[in-house]
Amino acid sequence: MADRDPFYVGYLDRIPAGIAGRTRLAVAILLAVGIALGLVLTFAQSSFDEGVFEFGVDREFRGVVIEKPYPMLLIPGTSGDARVTHYLAAYGKIGAGKFVDGLDGQSVRVTGSLIYNDQQRMIEVHTIEKIEGDTDDLKGLKTAAETPLGRMTLTGEIVDSKCHLGAMKPGRGKPHKACAIRCISGGIAPVLRVATHAGEVDYLLLVGADGSRVNRDVLKFIAEPVEISGEVVRAGDQLILYADPATYRRVVTGSTYELR
Amino acid sequence: MSLNYQAVLWNRQKKIYDGLIVLGVVLYLGMFVGVGSLVRPQTTIETLLIRGFGTLALALLHVILSIGPLCRLDRRFLPLLYNRRHLGVTMFLCGLFHGVFAIVQFHALGNVNPLVSVLSSNTDLSSLSAFPFQPLGLAALGILFLMAATSHDFWLANLGAPIWKSLHMLVYVAYGLLVLHVVLGVLQAETNSVLTLILAVGFVWIVSLHLLAGFGEIAGDRELTAAGSDRFIRACAVDEIREKRARIVCLAGERVAIFRYDGKVSAVSNVCQHQNGPLGEGKIVDGCITCPWHGYQYAPESGASPPPFTEKVPTFNVRVKAGEVWIDPHPNPPGTRTEPAPIEGDASNG
Ligand code: FES
Repeated sequence: MADRDPFYVGYLDRIPAGIAGRTRLAVAILLAVGIALGLVLTFAQSSFDEGVFEFGVDREFRGVVIEKPYPMLLIPGTSGDARVTHYLAAYGKIGAGKFVDGLDGQSVRVTGSLIYNDQQRMIEVHTIEKIEGDTDDLKGLKTAAETPLGRMTLTGEIVDSKCHLGAMKPGRGKPHKACAIRCISGGIAPVLRVATHAGEVDYLLLVGADGSRVNRDVLKFIAEPVEISGEVVRAGDQLILYADPATYRRVVTGSTYELR
Repeated sequence: MSLNYQAVLWNRQKKIYDGLIVLGVVLYLGMFVGVGSLVRPQTTIETLLIRGFGTLALALLHVILSIGPLCRLDRRFLPLLYNRRHLGVTMFLCGLFHGVFAIVQFHALGNVNPLVSVLSSNTDLSSLSAFPFQPLGLAALGILFLMAATSHDFWLANLGAPIWKSLHMLVYVAYGLLVLHVVLGVLQAETNSVLTLILAVGFVWIVSLHLLAGFGEIAGDRELTAAGSDRFIRACAVDEIREKRARIVCLAGERVAIFRYDGKVSAVSNVCQHQNGPLGEGKIVDGCITCPWHGYQYAPESGASPPPFTEKVPTFNVRVKAGEVWIDPHPNPPGTRTEPAPIEGDASNG
């Protein structure tokens, strides 16, 4: 006989028929909405930057160490005297300062994992040692000429070179802001990411007007659209922006630029 | 009930309920991570897990916050309420995975302690776009932790219902913090307005459901006042009460449940001693008033739970005159036996 006044008691084994039907319907709707929601969210999230972190892959590199303003390794390019700049970082959100201490200008052998994106490269250093013996092929790397490109005003986002090049996805923007602050305050080189008119991306290494490190001073501008006016210099494969962080300005939206 | 505390008193409904929770969680995460790695191959598994757990926790919180008002609007949703605390603990665990993964990803292996980093890396309060959103999420997680940790009836009994209840009302604070966490966080970077729309729809859904249920409840409250010198107040006609069910009336701001059963009428406080469930929406099962929320039982004449249980609710003296129920607005101490009022001419009146 059908129960004309169904009442649900959780610890009884049977749910009255009318209530069971409603419950089944509610659960089916919930599961369907959940799956639909997951699908919509998956497709609605923005796409991520390319960029690769060869986590767990140990490579060997030979080159010349630059200690200041930020630890870097200059490696001979494949064509003639061209050099390829590799930023250096330690494991985690820490700069490579302790690895390169006192090695400025020295020829070294580095093992580490490669991180790369948009022609920018970084090595997460595992070991570093001075090369004794023949280093003729490394001579002249450090003395590559700097070409001044003039004073420019650029708008972009300050990112940390490690996460942004591929250690994290996303490695820029608000969700990543605190992490970029952590990395840059930990000694990883800050770079300005700017969009070109052609829809590509350029990166400029940030240094003070006198060429010094600016890690501490840029923290409050990270992951926000920022406008920086300063001298732009091309050093080999690298662009460097000389500007006093006290003159950086927050702006509402970013804009594109073109190298003159 | 409150006799002794086991981790979980399992029964068939709870097993089905929990099975469905696990099924839902596995389906959602499997799909989010699986489909996510196909359509966004450039991303990392860490990011997909952080986002999968985070969105799942927030979606579950919407379900949890909907169940209460839905049950007030339509009692057939009550089976969803029965084991809601397991849904709550599941939601907390999803939020915890989201939080731990995010803290490890964004704050660990740096030059300060990860938790210090959450609170100190971004302290820019000057604009909404820059506002630190991660501490908001951490605060919400702290509230959800307190709730999950005290969700067992052991804590309900030991903290006392009022403290426990207000602690668990903090879920609305957590919800507000989480909405801000999303609005000031990931939505500042994501460009697809569908994401904002989904969050807005969820927010409007939760608010309107609560308003609807709240208005319904207020409209149902008829405040009764005394007529004449007699303490007794006319409450309702006997015919307005269905057999084995109750009618809820409001006396001096207190809700009272008047039950009709076996040709008699008894009245008890409407408030269940377990989690303040509405006894007047319950039913007499096996001679006992049975709470619609988790099935705690009380004898209608005495308001006392059948032994060995010890819960007691206040009772009220009632009379039936000419088909009308009259009630004394002064409650008797919890568990006081009162004489049920016989309904004259009721066929079932033995
Ligand atoms: S509130 Fe839980 S049984 Fe009444």
